[in-house]
Amino acid sequence: MAERQTIDARGAFCPGPLMELIAALKLAQIGDEIEVLSSDKGSVNDIPAWVTKVGHANVGTTEKDGYWSVVVKKAK
Amino acid sequence: MASKPLFIMLCSDEHEKIQLAAMVASVAAVSDRPVQVFVTMNAILAFRRGATPAERYHGGHFHEKFMTAKVPDAIELFEHGKMLGDMKMWACSMVLDLHHWEADKDLTEGLFDGAAGLTVFLADAEEGELITI
Repeated sequence: MAERQTIDARGAFCPGPLMELIAALKLAQIGDEIEVLSSDKGSVNDIPAWVTKVGHANVGTTEKDGYWSVVVKKAK
Repeated sequence: MASKPLFIMLCSDEHEKIQLAAMVASVAAVSDRPVQVFVTMNAILAFRRGATPAERYHGGHFHEKFMTAKVPDAIELFEHGKMLGDMKMWACSMVLDLHHWEADKDLTEGLFDGAAGLTVFLADAEEGELITI
């Protein structure tokens, strides 16, 4: 069964949130979702672009109070 | 289509430039792009085994901010690039010889794939894109 985990990368600057996501993806199963919480606007733009490039799936990005939630699904 | 390999020649010991090299190398490597980094000249000093971040990094307008904000450490970024992507790091054999250093004894443990000469690195770089920092 697919699982969902959250990485709290708030306060970390580029490319810290992306690297944390990639490390989590390595350990995740196909179909699992990973939510990255980031206050770094560059990472919020970069993560979906990286996800598309390497063939995972963007579930969505939501703006919260001073940070963003970026949800990614492992697709391969 | 496979991405063109990226070759980075890192010459500067300025923190900003080492940080940039680490960011470019690690992000390219985790984006399915093969990366090779050749560390030469003053840049090799930042990779001395056992050095603290304060000893390792200096220089550049953003240096102080890098040291105090939650910016990923450059050495750790290189390590992530190697761990999560196809990335190799080479230490310039000439500067090692001048310093009487050996790649597997005097440089950051586990980071370098060995010593290499400029000629071989440049020949390999013909198959991809080369940037110098």
